[in-house]
Amino acid sequence: MEVFMKKDSFWSPYIAGAGLGLTLLATFVIVGWGLGASSAFSLVTGVGLEKLSPEYAHKLTYFSQYLNVEAPLLNWVLFEIMGLFLGALAGSLLTGNFRLRFDKPEHMSTGARLLTAFGGGIIIGFSSRLARGCTSGVALSGGAQLALAGWVFVIAMFVSGFIGAALFRRLWS
Amino acid sequence: MVMNAPFIVSQTAGLILAVVLGLFFGLFLERGGLGNPHKLTGVFYLTDFSVPKAMFTAILVAATGLYLLSDLKLLDMHRVWIVPTFFWPQLLGGALFGIGFLVSGYCPGTAVAGLSSGRLDALVTMLGIGAGSLVFAIVYPAIEGFYSSSPMEGATLPSLLGVSHWVVMAFVYLMAAGMFYAMERYERTR
Repeated sequence: MEVFMKKDSFWSPYIAGAGLGLTLLATFVIVGWGLGASSAFSLVTGVGLEKLSPEYAHKLTYFSQYLNVEAPLLNWVLFEIMGLFLGALAGSLLTGNFRLRFDKPEHMSTGARLLTAFGGGIIIGFSSRLARGCTSGVALSGGAQLALAGWVFVIAMFVSGFIGAALFRRLWS
Repeated sequence: MVMNAPFIVSQTAGLILAVVLGLFFGLFLERGGLGNPHKLTGVFYLTDFSVPKAMFTAILVAATGLYLLSDLKLLDMHRVWIVPTFFWPQLLGGALFGIGFLVSGYCPGTAVAGLSSGRLDALVTMLGIGAGSLVFAIVYPAIEGFYSSSPMEGATLPSLLGVSHWVVMAFVYLMAAGMFYAMERYERTR
């Protein structure tokens, strides 16, 4: 029997990666497009804004792609993300990796982590709209199709991440 | 009989499939350690290579399967939606994204996996991603020109280079093998 409160245990990233690849392949074969993630956040934001201020939401032309459909929340990527949440929850619960926590680099204060978590999120939200997707929809799905988009995105992301890490050495290490 | 994938499914069936495929997506992300921001950012500090290992393995497996099924006429590639390329916005978007990934420790899908393992900081990042999408929608009229610039819709490496997809795949296999070998070696020596 495994002891529960222990350091997180994971599978080999090659095994997990092969599983991700087969999931992506199944998605291509069954529905004819790839996996996504960031558009669900944009969609929920647009729908939420419409609830708060319909007038303002409809003034933002970018959100019209979500709002001008019959049932905005019956969206493929949004349902996939709900599945993702449940699948990852099952994984962490079944292996004893689930633990309520506020994860941060050891040396970082809670206030600073709130700032990096939220601020980094803002940059991700903005840049994934600009790039028409994120690590899932462009890098992984596009990369596997050998689409130029996927490889441009993935190379730009790693290069800037390495430069950023060299400049902000104490952010995570 | 020749199978005719991708299949046309009803909206309801499509949404059920979305949840099922998402379940596997989330399970493999979490099991690969990709809900953990320390592991996710480790690649940038050369301390943990889970992200490139899982990511490039996934790309290799899915790409091999996709082009194999297409060559065997089991899948009609013309009916697969190819991720559209807009060169400059995706180059800048990818570069900005790398910074957001490094600073927050997550990307959109992995933030959800992070929350699923009980990480409340991942929820904060998810709220930030929503806020960033709103910022984009607000400034969209001003940057619409750039957003739609350099369109190369449906461009793939084989079509651009005018070579068979297996020639490109051969380079991808070589690159991945070289990278995996270098990462394993580096991990063993440090």
